[in-house]
Amino acid sequence: MLQHFTYLAPRTRAELHAVLADRGSDACLLAGGTDLLANIRSGLAHPRIVVDVKRVDGFSGIAWSAEDGLLIRAGATINDILRDARVRSDYALLTACARDLASHQVRNRATVVGNVVNASPCSDMAPALLCLQARAVIGSRRGEREVAFKDFFKDVKKTVLQPDEALERIVVPAASAGARGDYHKLKRINGHDLGIVGVAICLGRNGDMRLGVSSCAPTPILVEGLSDSLSAEAVVGAVMKAISPISDVRATKEYREHMVQTFVRRLLDEVKS
Amino acid sequence: MLETSNPSSLQHVGHSPARQEGPDKLTGAAVFVSDMTLPGMLHAQVKRSPHARAKIRNIDVSRAARLPGVRAILTGEDLNYRLGLYVVDKYILAKGEVRHHGEAVAAVAADTLAIAREAADLIDVDYEALPAVLNHMDALAPGAPLVHRDLGAYDYVEAVFSPQGGTNIANLTKCRKGDIEKGFAEAAWIVERQYTNPSVQHVPMETHVAIAQWKTGDKVTIWTSAQSPFTVRNLFCHAFKLPLSDVRVLIPNVGGGFGGKAGIHLEPLVACLSRKAGGRPVKLQATREEEFTLLPCRGALTYRIKTGVLADGKIIAQKMEMFWDAGAYADYAVNVTRASGYSAAGPYEVPNAWVDAYTIYTNKPYGTAYRGFGHVEFFWGLERHMELVARTIGMDPLEFRRKNLLRPGSLTLTGEKITAHSGDVRKCLDAVAEAIHYGELTPAETAREKRTGLKIGKGVATLHKAPAMPPFTGTAVIVKMNSDGGVLVNVGLTEIGQGSTTALAQIAAERLKFPLEKVKVTVEKDTDRDPYDWQTVASKGLILTGNALILACADLLEKAYADAGQALRAQACDLDHDGEKIFVSHAPDRSVTFAQLAVGYAYPDGNAIGGPLVGVGRYVAQGLTNLNKETGQGLPALDWTYGAHGIIAEVNAATGEYHVLKIASAYDVGKAINPGLVRGQCIGGMVQGLGTALCEGYVYDLQGHLLNPSFTDNKIPTCKDIPDEIECIIIETPQLDGAYGARGVGEHPMISVAPALGNAIRNAVGAELTHMPIRSEDVWRAIGHKEPVETWFTTTPTGSCRSIVWGG
Amino acid sequence: MKIKVTINGAAYEREVADNVTLLHFLREHVGLTGTKEGCGAGECGACTVFLDGRPVNSCLVLAAETNGRSVSTIEGETKDGGLSEIQEAFARRHAVQCGYCTPGMVMSVRALIERNPKPTVAEIKDGLEGNFCRCTGYAQIIEAVLDVTGQADSKQEPTHA
Repeated sequence: MLQHFTYLAPRTRAELHAVLADRGSDACLLAGGTDLLANIRSGLAHPRIVVDVKRVDGFSGIAWSAEDGLLIRAGATINDILRDARVRSDYALLTACARDLASHQVRNRATVVGNVVNASPCSDMAPALLCLQARAVIGSRRGEREVAFKDFFKDVKKTVLQPDEALERIVVPAASAGARGDYHKLKRINGHDLGIVGVAICLGRNGDMRLGVSSCAPTPILVEGLSDSLSAEAVVGAVMKAISPISDVRATKEYREHMVQTFVRRLLDEVKS
Repeated sequence: MLETSNPSSLQHVGHSPARQEGPDKLTGAAVFVSDMTLPGMLHAQVKRSPHARAKIRNIDVSRAARLPGVRAILTGEDLNYRLGLYVVDKYILAKGEVRHHGEAVAAVAADTLAIAREAADLIDVDYEALPAVLNHMDALAPGAPLVHRDLGAYDYVEAVFSPQGGTNIANLTKCRKGDIEKGFAEAAWIVERQYTNPSVQHVPMETHVAIAQWKTGDKVTIWTSAQSPFTVRNLFCHAFKLPLSDVRVLIPNVGGGFGGKAGIHLEPLVACLSRKAGGRPVKLQATREEEFTLLPCRGALTYRIKTGVLADGKIIAQKMEMFWDAGAYADYAVNVTRASGYSAAGPYEVPNAWVDAYTIYTNKPYGTAYRGFGHVEFFWGLERHMELVARTIGMDPLEFRRKNLLRPGSLTLTGEKITAHSGDVRKCLDAVAEAIHYGELTPAETAREKRTGLKIGKGVATLHKAPAMPPFTGTAVIVKMNSDGGVLVNVGLTEIGQGSTTALAQIAAERLKFPLEKVKVTVEKDTDRDPYDWQTVASKGLILTGNALILACADLLEKAYADAGQALRAQACDLDHDGEKIFVSHAPDRSVTFAQLAVGYAYPDGNAIGGPLVGVGRYVAQGLTNLNKETGQGLPALDWTYGAHGIIAEVNAATGEYHVLKIASAYDVGKAINPGLVRGQCIGGMVQGLGTALCEGYVYDLQGHLLNPSFTDNKIPTCKDIPDEIECIIIETPQLDGAYGARGVGEHPMISVAPALGNAIRNAVGAELTHMPIRSEDVWRAIGHKEPVETWFTTTPTGSCRSIVWGG
Repeated sequence: MKIKVTINGAAYEREVADNVTLLHFLREHVGLTGTKEGCGAGECGACTVFLDGRPVNSCLVLAAETNGRSVSTIEGETKDGGLSEIQEAFARRHAVQCGYCTPGMVMSVRALIERNPKPTVAEIKDGLEGNFCRCTGYAQIIEAVLDVTGQADSKQEPTHA
């Protein structure tokens, strides 16, 4: 059961911005609810106001733009991503990460935007967005700003969002379309689970290569500036330098390091073949 | 009893009709206690201890009492009742001292759950934290903090248990067979190792829930999701000193039990809240997080085995020391220790044996009954050990097992003689070994290894278990005929998903020679209406209740024949019947229908004879004895169900990742009353056993907080975690005193899955695992001979993967 | 807040507090107790219902969010007082034991075969991954799905040795 809060469902961006400007520090934004409602239930979040973004005009689904590429709006669910054939063909890495996120029921509600705003170190979508050089489009009454995802995550469950701001859409640039990529996630079981480690790789048409790693640092990590001409050792080295895994109830630091290296090599084999 | 009818003439037994209560469950119409609301019902919330061990200095409920809508508040000081199935060691709410993280110290009943929760938060408890003892081996050390200072003064079942006052030992079960020192002296090899299992939770999909109403005159009605209505009533009345008829226990459908609901849990607290609230009904349902800490789990185990083997591979001596971590209260754990103690050597012949099995208190959530009653835990060690002994002496593990299996004429640890009808463990083992092509890779498997770079390994493990129950366990059954000639069967055995309702209906239909549609076995239990059954545990239902049912059917028919004989002016010996009527065998046109007899037979002129037809049967276990407390000798076993598993596992030698390609399981069930249901138990139990092996296990921090009190970090198998191929094999060596020859199989499929897997992994990549669960990291560490990680206690984790501590 | 929601084809109008989940709304306000609570945290799937035709964990949906939308529960699965073809297949294949996960499981199966009329075993597992069952071990549930989609051969029985 959930503690008391007021539920608001603004219909326009203006209404949304007004609520956040006035009450943002008391409020949490509700998209799919699969993180927020679970956090309210467990006492990790205790907003006085829950602001549902799903009824805001222009916030649902995905859209395509010749110059911008793929636009993932606030209300677009993980299954919306998985169901889209063009995402599958143009942004295979997004599909790969989406497939490993929780269960079918959760994917019908969880949103890409919500997943990154929740900013868990274990986020499944963040590695893809980091590798694909996606940008967060953030709106408020003060205006709109764009932040590259590599600058978006600050700490465990903390992002650059101010209390009066909402992540309104994600832009996955046209330049990243057609990149080869995949995501390997280590879980404790074959069924749905948080990642013990997660590694994504993205190989662009120019041979530029990026990796994204989840569950190995306070935030999801981007490793960039790599190319497909590098040796596997060099890539592994670069990734290991960028991450700082810990030991916890799920695995030891040692095993996490071993599996990250394993996944990096497997993914290199995959994208290069 | 074994009916002498020709197996091929059986109409119902041996077939697989769909379960009787299926439609209700499929449509959502089946009522569970969690669905129930009663007029005027209040909702309860428990306040729980954030400490593993602490003195309760003071509890101030004044702020909570002032909250509107609060109708009753209780603390330990209000409830001076101690309960315990075998050792009476537990207050309803902690009194003076808390003994585990998550223990209930106060409870509130209020108009709504929200108010009850708010009130619980407003209760101020002043604790003085005390040093806790968390590891059961530490609890044995002299000078360890005592979990129960007054253990020496507690009441307990003297005939069976041996608590050691002044220590943390709630029970010590011993078994002494032959001469252990002489045996070891004769041995050519001695192999010794230690094996461990963490605590694991049952994870019923419906958490524990109870509603109680304490009415005027101390008449109490309880609705509970439980396995044993008569045990709830019995222990309740014993604690509150009430006559049994004054307490009524009702059980509708139960959303899974697995032993966790076998005893008494929330009922006394909820009843006391109702009493305090002036008799209004009160409902308490555990959240999933409370299910993991407030409600009990299964005890952890450290098992040390030392085996002496002759040069030819025959076991000559074995010393077995079991250290059971019971947690804070003895509950069923002392009996788990006893039942495992007398079974500890598995289905092997051990001429000289020594067992010391300890139940040890620690400051952690306590262990209760769990499917297998200790056998899942100790067979991990035992069957990994048989593997080790075989390899050490240079013998194939399958051959080593075959050489040492019990056979007709063997004596068990307690001196019971095995017969040809005990069951055929050899057949079970051979069947699974064949099903997995043990000992070699097929061409397809070899090709697969080449293609994947992964290693394939095969392992087997045996299992056995007898019902762990008092030697005088009994049951009764009532069969009532409806006026249309159908029958209604009342049993105290509870349907918890295992399918007893349907199997019993088939047995009744068979004995009565009725169509199955004419037999209804009631699902909901009611101690005011149903005849006594001890508990729905131990896999004894088919034998005891099945037999009582056969006798009840025979009783019904005898009465019907007597009435029919009068009506037809014939002698009972000249009568026969079918599903509709009783007729004169040599003149079948002279007949009377069951419908005509059902509630009394009326002649055409109105005269009546007979009356409502009710058959009664009762059955009690026969020939069983208590065990001698010093030697462990006696006859505890109603029957033995034997089995075996064979597993083919595929392992990545570089990472420890592994996958179960196939499992083949065989059980000697005596007679499969309903093969479809048997298969359901086989697969369901096996997957639960696989969960134990793959991923389940409590993890604590060094302060005794449970770090995985939810599904986030306490994982259970999903449909993606089952083996690629599952084969279930049934062997039918009839149980001579079993209903149609049947034995129980409810618990057994869970046993020995883990060691079969451990043996397969060993075969694949040489990793020697002695600790559970078997995570990929554990396999990786074992392959590389790295230090194993302590997975049960951990230094407080840092970072975002800290689990949520509830109720603190 | 006042909400208007269609449940199993019938219109409901109710005043409901903002913090009530769809699961509690169904069970406690509307009296449809077929949908169960297993964890309250979106892990076990016992609370699976359809929201606008898609299966979701109702424990993580607010009743308020369903205003103007349609919900389907297990109570809507039966056809003319009889079992649906999915329910019949479950009964035939012994895919029910304690029954607590069953409503959510049937809903997930209904959703699966609506979007994929002939799922492979792997696709069935993907579709049912979010529904825990502690009793059956899943194999007979998978067989029921193969059965109802015309893909199963003869009844699976244990073999005799």
